[in-house]
Amino acid sequence: METTMRRVFRSRWWMPSFCVALGLAVLAASWAGDDLRGGIWGLAMMTALGAVFLFGGRSETLSGLGGPGRDERWEAIDMRATAATGLVLIVTVIGAWLWDVAQGGDGSPYAQLAAVSGVAYIVAIAILRFRS
Amino acid sequence: MQNNIRLLRDTRGLSQGQLATAMGVSRQTINSIETGRYTPSLPLAISLARFFGRAVEEVFHGDNDA
Repeated sequence: METTMRRVFRSRWWMPSFCVALGLAVLAASWAGDDLRGGIWGLAMMTALGAVFLFGGRSETLSGLGGPGRDERWEAIDMRATAATGLVLIVTVIGAWLWDVAQGGDGSPYAQLAAVSGVAYIVAIAILRFRS
Repeated sequence: MQNNIRLLRDTRGLSQGQLATAMGVSRQTINSIETGRYTPSLPLAISLARFFGRAVEEVFHGDNDA
């Protein structure tokens, strides 16, 4: 299973396909929200981004982000980058929540986002501890 | 963590790209290992040592090792 997933993630078509799929989701959501023009623009942008990954040439960053350049070092880089991103995100969410509360708001939706993040972290810790 | 990968690779007359292909990793990963910026996983370290016909501790050693 893990091998299959790794093969998928290391395919040169993975990230371009994901970009186009996300673009189609943006198109569908925008269309549903009566903003077809915005949806088409979103699809075009995501398709262009997918093309950058597909035809990114020799760039290690694009190759790693796109899939084919992923090896164990890249996976370590990806994990650290994801952790850094999560840290920035949770600090931002907590800061926004405190700011909203200080402005007299009820903290939504930052309180919910912070709660989901906290629960996800604890569950992940428990599962990973059990598996290692 | 220090290693003798560059020395062993040069002895064999291999490029970083050739060694990378043999190990199934990128050339940049071999470069990072040689310069000590990346410590490989145990499976890759074993593969590298076996590739050069050495024991792992002959290829990789701690900073304080002789």
